Amino acid sequence: MKRRDLLKTAGLAGLATFAPSAWSVAIAQDGSRILTLANPAGFPDLDPSTSFSNDGLVLANVYEGLTRYYPGTDGGTATIEPVLAESWTTAADGLSWTFKLRQGVVFHDGTPLTADAVKGSIERTMKIAGGAAFIWSAVTGIEAPDPATVVFKLSSPQPLDIIASAGFAAWIFSPASQAKDNAWFNAGNDGGTGPYKIDSYEPGQRAVASRFTGHWGKAKEGGFDKVSFEVVEDSTLGQNMIQSGQADWTYGLPYDNLAIMRADPDLSVVANPSFETLFGLYNTKRAPLDKPKVRQALSLAFPYDDVINAGTAGLGARAHGVIPPGIWGHDPDAPIPNTDLDAARKLLAEEGVTSLDLTMTYATSDPLEQVAGELWKANLEQLGINLTLQPMAWEAQWQLAKADPATAQDIFVMYWWPTYVTPYDYLVSLFRSEAAPNYNLGYYSNADVDKLIDDGATLAGTDRAKAEDDFRAAQRKIIEDAAAVFILDKPNVHVIRANLQGYADNPAYGHVVFAGDLSRKA
Amino acid sequence: MGLGRYLLRRLALSVLVVLGVTFLVFVAAQVVPSDPAALYAGPRPTADQIEKARAELHLDAPLPQRFAAFAAAMATGDFGVSYKSRRPIAQDLRAYLPATLELATVSTLLALLIGIPAGAFAAARRGGWLDRAGGLASIAAVAMPTFFLAMLLQAFFAQGIGILPLSGRLSREIALSAPLDPVTGFTLIDSLIAGRLDVFRDALAHLILPALTLAAYPAGIAMRLTRSAMIEILGRRHILAARALGLSRARILFGHALPNAVGPSLTVLGLSFAYALTGAVLVEIIFAWPGLGRYVSEAVLSKDFPVIAASTFVVTLCYVAMNLILDLVQALVDPRVAL
Repeated sequence: MKRRDLLKTAGLAGLATFAPSAWSVAIAQDGSRILTLANPAGFPDLDPSTSFSNDGLVLANVYEGLTRYYPGTDGGTATIEPVLAESWTTAADGLSWTFKLRQGVVFHDGTPLTADAVKGSIERTMKIAGGAAFIWSAVTGIEAPDPATVVFKLSSPQPLDIIASAGFAAWIFSPASQAKDNAWFNAGNDGGTGPYKIDSYEPGQRAVASRFTGHWGKAKEGGFDKVSFEVVEDSTLGQNMIQSGQADWTYGLPYDNLAIMRADPDLSVVANPSFETLFGLYNTKRAPLDKPKVRQALSLAFPYDDVINAGTAGLGARAHGVIPPGIWGHDPDAPIPNTDLDAARKLLAEEGVTSLDLTMTYATSDPLEQVAGELWKANLEQLGINLTLQPMAWEAQWQLAKADPATAQDIFVMYWWPTYVTPYDYLVSLFRSEAAPNYNLGYYSNADVDKLIDDGATLAGTDRAKAEDDFRAAQRKIIEDAAAVFILDKPNVHVIRANLQGYADNPAYGHVVFAGDLSRKA
Repeated sequence: MGLGRYLLRRLALSVLVVLGVTFLVFVAAQVVPSDPAALYAGPRPTADQIEKARAELHLDAPLPQRFAAFAAAMATGDFGVSYKSRRPIAQDLRAYLPATLELATVSTLLALLIGIPAGAFAAARRGGWLDRAGGLASIAAVAMPTFFLAMLLQAFFAQGIGILPLSGRLSREIALSAPLDPVTGFTLIDSLIAGRLDVFRDALAHLILPALTLAAYPAGIAMRLTRSAMIEILGRRHILAARALGLSRARILFGHALPNAVGPSLTVLGLSFAYALTGAVLVEIIFAWPGLGRYVSEAVLSKDFPVIAASTFVVTLCYVAMNLILDLVQALVDPRVAL
């Protein structure tokens, strides 16, 4: 624990004993029920076309997309549920998708949801081409044959029902707001259909939204009248607020402090798998890491369980390749290596490697990546391998890796998560051959894998089961080649007040709370 | 030299300073390894998107041409858009700068009102209990890490006796019931414009703890400086003469000695004001204060140069203006200082 953290924790212990201060709000003076979300980062962009950051927490309560993704729990299959679309079909060639819209939906400005509004929303997003607009890159045209029908024309088959469920760039907003600029949205205005509408926005401080009485869904009994999205960057302050009841939900607290939260009867610690996976890409272009056996040896020397325990308080999960559970294409039976120093030593001997100097780059100030590096380094030392840990700002780490494989790092540690839920995103970005490296920063190149990824992509829009087979096969090949060390699947850990009812994490939407589903126990 | 000529000369020098800073920021942006196009293209861009961004930002244009465009953007106050968020920087600065200016101004005033009189009293009662207590307090104020002092203040005033809010700039209750319309961005001023005394009181209550935290260091230094300068001046012959003339103690202390002694303290306070504009990141984070420090530190981490440049430019302007004001104040207060 750093000195600063120690001092803070000492202070906290004192603070926690005091009663909640007079400045906390759970019920407003007028008796309305308030949900307070303490978010450890600001909301930099509330424009539904370009938002691609923590703003998703606010926007997911104010706007709705055509569909929503629910991951399969306990081995079940994932489902795509209707939201603003009621049903959808795809043509046999996968090159067009038809969505039938829900009837009786109105925007916050009172105008009805129409096919033209959907067309206008996606077209504005595609035209500005900021944020996550690239998810629509295959769309060549949008048609509105009647007010309740939208048809998307594609240049190649794509799983558009899943793309439309994305937490960014897939929001539908009113025709009037489509004519507005970014500044209008960031002044605290909105044009959504969601269960809440924005009342006010103070940049860097908070956004406040109140219940939209015209929402098409059934309002939850005892649900919240207002939601206060508070920006609380200091984790000590966040902990303080959740402990004293000034906040109902927060995350980003140090893993070390979770035991205290667990012991508090007023709090619940909710840990779920996320879609964020941590791995290290081996530089396959430089000797001796160009030999699969050397890479396999390094992966065998990785202390998987120790890193999960020390780095995530045991809440993380072993990664089965690069695609985390809950995403179609995940392979629970993938042949992943277990820590085995003897086997590693044997493989190194077969390749005649007795001593080695390696450099691992990772993001500065990421404690989990640092712990992973330090524990791995200790194991590798026993094999005569010296691992230099090089923390870097992401920009610098990325630029170094993109420049020249011959002078770049040996191991590139990073996280990956999908913009919309697809295994293709992980595989094509990280492991498909690239002429100039962009995210394939291990410079891995395998024609068989490329073909499997491409075939899977083509089938994803028409025959998802078959696409899944291709993606699994590609992933097994990548594991066999030890193109990367698959460190762990990161947990999503949220601390909530124990009296919140109806709370469920959906990893497809990161750190998003759907406030309309919640109520408070009396 | 007359006041007019002095002002003109200072303004000319200020222009040079601002130009120099603009140039240095531009050079720094070229030297530091980063790819603005990749940043502009958004999180995890494709290679095509990066190339498109490079063309859009004219990053392949010759350096002099780019510097001209950059300097013009600074001079017109347009500042362009952030590479990272693609939002107009002027719009962001309008949101974050007032919060920081308000905090820095109030904390500097607090430091001034606490540090200088305390130093003067300590010097007047040299060796007495007031002097010793003041010495201890000033050392504590200077030596204590900002974040720890912030937490102590929060623990006592917000969590303990509950008379001041823990964090933020305005209470949630105001945002929830009747939000304040921003006019100037300064909550204290906006609340008065709107005739909302409840909001004014709330904003003031929210300002106290972060302002006190920020004021501790400059107040401590100002106290030590004022004390030592006062002690020296109180031993001078003109003070002895004033005493012999039978002037009151207060008149001697505040009318004759203090004006000669405040110079160094004012300089320190001016510097600390400029520092607080972007250097108060820790205080801003701990008190969830939506200020420039947090905004700039995020830009620095992601190498968002237009934001760094614009903020540097604005802070330079504030700094130059503050120095000018301080020099004028010093000239008004201390009869020995000529313009």
